[in-house]
Amino acid sequence: MNQILVIAWREVTRLRKRFGGGASPLAVLLLLAMLGLSSYFLRDTVSLGAGLYRVGVSGDVPLIEDSRFSVLSVSPQEGRTLLEDKTIDVFIDGSQVISRSDDRSQYAVRALKQYMEVAELTRVGNSYDGDSAFPLRVGINYLDASQPAGEADAATPAEVIIPSLTPPPAPFTQVLITLIYIMPITFISIFFTSSFMDEKMNRRLTVLLSAPVTPFQIIMGKMLPYALFALSTTILIAWFTKANILLALAIFAPTTLFIFAIYLMVPLFYRTFKDTTFIAMLVTTLTTSYLIFPAMFTNVNDLSYISPLTLAVKMYREEPFGWREYLFPSFPMTAIFLLTMFAGTRLLNEEFLMGYKPLTRKVGDAIYLMLARSKPYISVPLWSLLVIPAVYMFQIIFLTFATNLPVGLILGFTLLASALLEEIVKSVSIVVLARHGVVKSWRELFGLSFLSALGFLIGEKLLLLISISMVSDAPVAGAMFGVGLLLFIPLIAHFIFTSIIVVAHVKLKFPYPLALAVGTIVHFIYNVSVMRGGF
Amino acid sequence: MIFTVLAVVKKELASVIRDGTIVISILIQLFIASFSSGLLLGMLALYDPDTIMQFGGNIKIGMVSAAEDQLGPLMRERGLHVTEYATLADANAAFYRGEVLAIVDTPQDANGLTQVNLYLPTSETTSSLIRMVIQEPLKQYENTLRTEKGIELRYADLKGKPATSFEFVYSVLIPMLMFFPAFVAGSMAVDSITEEVENKTLQTLLSAPLTLNSMLAGKILASVILAFLQCIAWLSLLQLNGIVIQNTGWILLLALIIAGITSTSAALSAVLLKDRERSQFIYSLILLASAAISTLLNISPITAISRFAIGDAYTSGLNIIIFALFLGGLSLLLSKLSRRLLA
Repeated sequence: MNQILVIAWREVTRLRKRFGGGASPLAVLLLLAMLGLSSYFLRDTVSLGAGLYRVGVSGDVPLIEDSRFSVLSVSPQEGRTLLEDKTIDVFIDGSQVISRSDDRSQYAVRALKQYMEVAELTRVGNSYDGDSAFPLRVGINYLDASQPAGEADAATPAEVIIPSLTPPPAPFTQVLITLIYIMPITFISIFFTSSFMDEKMNRRLTVLLSAPVTPFQIIMGKMLPYALFALSTTILIAWFTKANILLALAIFAPTTLFIFAIYLMVPLFYRTFKDTTFIAMLVTTLTTSYLIFPAMFTNVNDLSYISPLTLAVKMYREEPFGWREYLFPSFPMTAIFLLTMFAGTRLLNEEFLMGYKPLTRKVGDAIYLMLARSKPYISVPLWSLLVIPAVYMFQIIFLTFATNLPVGLILGFTLLASALLEEIVKSVSIVVLARHGVVKSWRELFGLSFLSALGFLIGEKLLLLISISMVSDAPVAGAMFGVGLLLFIPLIAHFIFTSIIVVAHVKLKFPYPLALAVGTIVHFIYNVSVMRGGF
Repeated sequence: MIFTVLAVVKKELASVIRDGTIVISILIQLFIASFSSGLLLGMLALYDPDTIMQFGGNIKIGMVSAAEDQLGPLMRERGLHVTEYATLADANAAFYRGEVLAIVDTPQDANGLTQVNLYLPTSETTSSLIRMVIQEPLKQYENTLRTEKGIELRYADLKGKPATSFEFVYSVLIPMLMFFPAFVAGSMAVDSITEEVENKTLQTLLSAPLTLNSMLAGKILASVILAFLQCIAWLSLLQLNGIVIQNTGWILLLALIIAGITSTSAALSAVLLKDRERSQFIYSLILLASAAISTLLNISPITAISRFAIGDAYTSGLNIIIFALFLGGLSLLLSKLSRRLLA
């Protein structure tokens, strides 16, 4: 523990030297404050479609203050001419709205409708008393369809709304608020990454590694200041937005760990500076989409619980959620953190860090280093079991990606992509060991393929067990994680796919991508027939 | 001078292609583009009543019939399937038989207000969907009640076409695909300049017949060329997808200038700070700040690109001049300050 604190203090000193003199941190703080301020002002004004529509107005028209419209004051005659020659999209003459029949003009009319509705409601609300301006109340009652108990009880509605003042339940704003929590964490990770790069550059890592500290202590020590920073920003944001601080911490702590885990991988794998930039960008994009995409569907689809932001959205809406809902996103994230910490301790050695090789070879070496210290019969199935949370996350990302495809292709694409991913995960450990000459014989290859399939299946079913109660109405997710709970046939099937790949590559000398393609296609065909009810 | 700059450009481009990192960058852009449009499609499918009605099929609502009924026709007009029942108990029974998804009770008078009771299933998914599609008829009904009280809501009869996709493509997707390569170009410039400093290869490089300024120019130019090629590729892809884009020449020119601005300011922060860590940090802060400032000052290049793309009548080459002038100023500043890199 002491060692960790020493390294953490050393990290703080490094940053202080970097941004030395006292003036620069102040400048950064000022800049950040300015940014915060401008984003606060921009919050309401920037929307989808800024500056897209030109509107001509004439006569008594309410003031149009919306970033989507550029307003032009014209005479009635002029307005009609400008509309004709497509210089403006809509012309408002007093209370009359004149448009063309083409798409652009019609889009503008719809946008105008959205704006005018709000503006008119404000006007009416200000000039008349509440009950006359809003004469309708809608009482919302809920009926439990599964329990045809008694009469509907009209006495006390669960909620009473005024239709024009109650916006439909879109979580956009709350998702944006929860994004603010993620921003500082990804920003600070630049320094976390740089810290390792610095050591590598100055060859100080060699010195550090020869000192009596373990790689684990080095990583923890370096992470500590940034983790503390991340947690304190979480507390601050929760405090500013009047959220429950403890709950916010509980929600965002696994997310923070997860993001740090991912950024720990960046300095371990980079070869040139440009690599770092590109890998970091890729990682940021993938994690952000993993976090945001599901949260958009809060309360619409139960699958949205895969993202912790969904919990945060619920927190801001003051809706309750239970332990299962909390563990569903938090467990995979924490698991990935632990796995990367383990990988980090194995990879933090000079030979691995300094080697300049193609990225794929580097990843192969990394897997080898993680497996090499224990017996293949233990490490291979463990590997297949432990990377399941990562597989799970990637499948969510595939799903995000697939929503762009034509409807007919979505299922096919996700099935094929997840088959490929599963096959990579199951076979890569054996292939890497074979390349280093650890496993050779047919017996070993088949034995390991079986164990790898077993490990994978156990992990998959455990995850399914956790999620099956949650993801009830998501057929695609069901297909991705295997429909049949019957264990024997899937086990044999997984074993066969993996053996095909391993044998094709190791014994028949197929290039790995080709062997992978063969195994994936067989897997895909199996999945499709399972879905059609063949097995 | 020109040849030495070109030699640097060639070397930079060759290294980018050899590392294969540019592939990651293109993948990211593809992912962001498809991610955001996927998000939009998802949002549309789930939160836009028009789209729900278009794809959602028949949503069956039970209504308790009343003598003077205004709400029923409004809901039918929306495309909902309305079945009338004589009493609430009948409608209730139909709900439990699964014939209707929700029930609307007869509007009742309560102290001068009109109250309607709505019965929804407990399933959050279905009930929020119904609340979304039923919102518009309820608002129209509210308007009728207002008119009865002599309050007129103006502009209530506007229709138009759902504009979300249109707004997304022209104000988010196209600007994003045009500017993202520029942001990457800036990061690349920082990386390639600071790498020379931190690996201590700068002195060696400058012992070749190469001035500091032409070295910087070469590195900036290489990043800008990469960005420009990506922009051309994205524009052609978008057009192949059937998206109509006007003024492609002006759009590409503006994208080119923006890539120049980002790479030059990135080079400027690299020259002043000399290490990757601080330069990248300051560069990304500058990007965020200038995006905010340009929007505040109403000269945002994002808006300019959207307007070019839809063929706005008031947007012309004049809107680009300000960015070109800014780029000129930045380049001048960089050439004056470049000696700091050696200090």
